[in-house]
Amino acid sequence: VLVLVRSPLPRLRALLHRCWGRLERGLWPAVFGGQSPPWGPALAVQGPALVPQGISVAGTPSLPESVVWMAAPKQRRTIEVNRCRRRNHSKLVEIKRNIDVCPECGNLKQKHVLCGHCYAKVKEETRLIRMEIYKKEGGPFNAPTVETVVLYEGEKPTEKDEGRRIIERARKRPSWFVQN
Amino acid sequence: AGAAWARGLLSWARPERWLPCGSLFPLSCIHTSTALQKIGKWEKKNRIVYPPQLPGEPRRPAEIYHCRREIKYSKDKMWYLAKLIKGMSIDQALAQLEFSDKKGAKVIKEVLLEAQEMAVRKHNVEFKSNLHIAESQTGRGRYVKRLRCHGKGMFGMMKISRCHYFVKLVEGPPPPPEPPRTGFDQAKEYVQQLRNRTLVHTL
Repeated sequence: VLVLVRSPLPRLRALLHRCWGRLERGLWPAVFGGQSPPWGPALAVQGPALVPQGISVAGTPSLPESVVWMAAPKQRRTIEVNRCRRRNHSKLVEIKRNIDVCPECGNLKQKHVLCGHCYAKVKEETRLIRMEIYKKEGGPFNAPTVETVVLYEGEKPTEKDEGRRIIERARKRPSWFVQN
Repeated sequence: AGAAWARGLLSWARPERWLPCGSLFPLSCIHTSTALQKIGKWEKKNRIVYPPQLPGEPRRPAEIYHCRREIKYSKDKMWYLAKLIKGMSIDQALAQLEFSDKKGAKVIKEVLLEAQEMAVRKHNVEFKSNLHIAESQTGRGRYVKRLRCHGKGMFGMMKISRCHYFVKLVEGPPPPPEPPRTGFDQAKEYVQQLRNRTLVHTL
């Protein structure tokens, strides 16, 4: 729970005091012993000066009563009421019924999402392939306009890979990376 | 005075009664360091030893108590996860926690895996899947108050909350869920209450 506390900076406090004083003086000129003339209805015609009206004008209420229009709790909410709200069925965590077992690795996976373990394996291999590509290209903006083929240990480029760029990886082909 | 105090302590403690006759250092069993501060009640529940069961008694299922203290999370938010896994089998609980998006789910999953490991190694549990969660609770940890700066030089006090998480694993399949109370059950109970009424303070 946050509790706002006035800052201890003296300059800001003094400034706020002065502003508040000016505001108060502006609102109720009559309260401060007539330092500024009270606002009364002004007549365009020359006539006797108006007798200053009473302090309380029926129109605007004074400041302590004008704070009524802010909403505030009337009673403390008991812990029973609080519990009813916090433990309502809509606020509890629902159990998920869309969890299956991945047929490849045996870890758990959600039905509409790729298996996290298999994805991590593929991601790691892709990172290594990208490092090989970076070594071959040597810098940014050097990508050739032809297709790329990844060959693992003991594999030769076939006649289909005639005009393609070949990336060598020094390991056995992983079972999930099917060749063509 | 120090020697007299030590002698008084020894005469009260009587370590020679605790240790077998062959030990050389009877005073070494008095624990003087303050390493662990205070061992909580939940950790001590693992230390109770029941007397051996008689041949005819049904087998008492193994109970494993585990907890983690001072987790950086709110106890109210952690309670929702604890309520989720109460009464589930451990495999189902691990599955639900793995795909939950909450921060506390990762922590509770680690706690459950640790407890499962402890059960298999120390508490003579045969199958690690044959456990279910009997109790799972959260507790309030130590709160720390800090200043939070707002605009215009205003400050607020915020509290950094921590929580504890307690779990009790019991061997065996999870108990079947209670059937929801129907109107018929409530009516039966009401009629039974009416039938139980008797006259009091009479002959």
